Amino acid sequence: MNAIIVSAVFGVLMMFASFLVNNKNVYRYLAIIGLSVLLLANILETYAIWSIKFDSFLQLSFERFGLFFNSIAIAATLFYVLLSGKDIVRVGNYSAEYFVLIFFILCGVSLITSYNSLLMLFLGIEIISIPLYILTGSDKKNLKSNEAALKYFLMGAFSTGLMLMGIALSYGAVGNFGLEGRGVVAFGGSMRVSFLEVAGLLLLFISMSFKASAAPFHFWTPDVYEGAPSVFTSFMATIVKATVFIGMIKLLEARTGIFGPTWQIILPLMIVLTLAIGNITAVFQQSVKRMLAYSSIAQAGFMLFALWSANDMGREGILLYSVAYTLATVGIFAVLVKMKDYTFDGFNGLAAKQPLVAASVAVFVLSLAGIPLTAGFFAKYFMLASAIKSGAGVWLLVVAVVFAAVSVYYYFRLIQAMYFKEGEAEMFEQPTNSFKGMLAIFAVLLIVLGIAPSLLFNYLYF
Amino acid sequence: MPIQYYIFLALALFSIGIIGVLTRRNAIIVFMCIELMLNSVNLLLVAFSKMHHAEALTAVADTTIGIDAQLFVFFIMVVAAAEVAVGLAIIVMMFRNTHSVDVHFLNRLKN
Amino acid sequence: MLWTNFLMNVSTASNTAVDYFPIGIQLIFAVGFVATMIGVSALIGPKRQTSDKLQSFESGIESVGNARQPMAIKYFLVAILFVLFDVEVIFFYPYAINFRDLGWNGFFAVLMFVSLFLAGFIYIIKKGALKWED
Repeated sequence: MNAIIVSAVFGVLMMFASFLVNNKNVYRYLAIIGLSVLLLANILETYAIWSIKFDSFLQLSFERFGLFFNSIAIAATLFYVLLSGKDIVRVGNYSAEYFVLIFFILCGVSLITSYNSLLMLFLGIEIISIPLYILTGSDKKNLKSNEAALKYFLMGAFSTGLMLMGIALSYGAVGNFGLEGRGVVAFGGSMRVSFLEVAGLLLLFISMSFKASAAPFHFWTPDVYEGAPSVFTSFMATIVKATVFIGMIKLLEARTGIFGPTWQIILPLMIVLTLAIGNITAVFQQSVKRMLAYSSIAQAGFMLFALWSANDMGREGILLYSVAYTLATVGIFAVLVKMKDYTFDGFNGLAAKQPLVAASVAVFVLSLAGIPLTAGFFAKYFMLASAIKSGAGVWLLVVAVVFAAVSVYYYFRLIQAMYFKEGEAEMFEQPTNSFKGMLAIFAVLLIVLGIAPSLLFNYLYF
Repeated sequence: MPIQYYIFLALALFSIGIIGVLTRRNAIIVFMCIELMLNSVNLLLVAFSKMHHAEALTAVADTTIGIDAQLFVFFIMVVAAAEVAVGLAIIVMMFRNTHSVDVHFLNRLKN
Repeated sequence: MLWTNFLMNVSTASNTAVDYFPIGIQLIFAVGFVATMIGVSALIGPKRQTSDKLQSFESGIESVGNARQPMAIKYFLVAILFVLFDVEVIFFYPYAINFRDLGWNGFFAVLMFVSLFLAGFIYIIKKGALKWED
């Protein structure tokens, strides 16, 4: 419970700092201190050294997997603020409030990783979503940002409605909001799974696919990711998306087998559709930001494998996938924010001007594409291996590998632009040494995890 | 009254809400339709709460089964209020910049 | 067919036209009462048609202009804040009902809720959201 309480408290503290302190850099340092304390508190709880305990009346249950994901999300946010904190402060006039909202989102994240009743799932999703609507529209004078915020808000509220209907139907069948449900219920005289529960959980699943931008519920994603200020896009495309997947995994594990044999058709279909739409559309993009938006859909397709396999390897895999995908995407976005031109041509000749930055971006891109010796390779490998373990058809794996190969094309266009094209890659400001250092740390982390992914899993079990 | 009346009423309201979201152009009206969806869920939850309560009453005299759904309704109301605050603020921000709340004009992001 | 049966079994109350009799009476009475009152007051009330009476009522102040015109964003901000703070009060109802049973634990929980509330309130005051004059 540490993460939930400490993040909320730091959110409120930052709120007060916004009118007590008038120096924008102080906000950034406060946020970094807050995130470090939060990380420490969560690790202390993970190893059962110190934790705040309240009786949550079975609404929440804390286990190693969720707590470890909390640590990953908080650490990723810490890295994110260290890397692009200056750009967050610069988005608008309310610098402190952006950090406030990020803290509140982390509170929602830790609710989702530890929910034990659908009420907490609903609250967690909303605590994540509502601050995100604000962050999306935080560039108030920019029409694109306004539009993205309105679109995101209407879509998000709509999917909230679906989610609530799902929860209500499931409650009608089961009689409580518990994650486990009651399992069997009298249905037309025989003891079977109720029609209402299946319909409800299907609606719940659909609305969470909305949030995770899995096809065919992905259509808001490119517009919103493009319109939102780039710093916040990187946050919502990575940490938030991974969290929603954790929530889905918890739900589907608790009510496993509820959808019956049709599940073996629905989910593979969704996976293939998500991979196809994400990868094929990304090929035609000229803007790197929009390409990353589509690539985030494509990566969601791989994360869906963890839902399908639903075994320990899938759980390990989704953690590794979150780390690999988050580090790489946050890194690329941090560089993208500093570029004047967001198209591929804007990156022309970056390698000559900023060799270290270009090299880091190259590592990030390689990791996203899943090239061996980077974390992205093992992430994809674990996803596919876990699916095989659960008895996936070969055709599904072939499709996944083919689309991974397609993704190599558009990822390598970025490397090609940086290294093999002449041009003046212009930046708003010269990257500072600390920025370059952080980027290099990201790249090194990705490579280390790419050589020895078990380093990460050790923390999951020991 | 039989529970299915409530289910049909709630589902009808919910469908009206969905159709409104999908067809109306005015952002405020779309938003009102979303609120309608949330409120139909409230109705359904209260009906189910009553149903489970009545069912449990036959076995135990002072049961509290079914209370949780009514509490859930409170949470839905509060979250909906928070959403209203943010949503209206976004719509006002949009209106200040474009002097329109028509969602069909939201095409600047389409390439 | 099957699942409606399942739902049928649960309902315990009977469902006949007699059950609706009180509602019918109430409907007739409500409509009749309103119609009578409006009719009688129109018939026997004095009628003085002056320009003042045709104006919209604004608590005694002279009305100014059309109601449908853009107004200061301050109104909007206050209205939104009102909605937020108004709806949160909903959580006090369950507490008020279970005041005795919940004891000190419940009291501290509500105290925490109110203090978070207060933090938000201090925040909006300090940010000048309620300041009327610029």
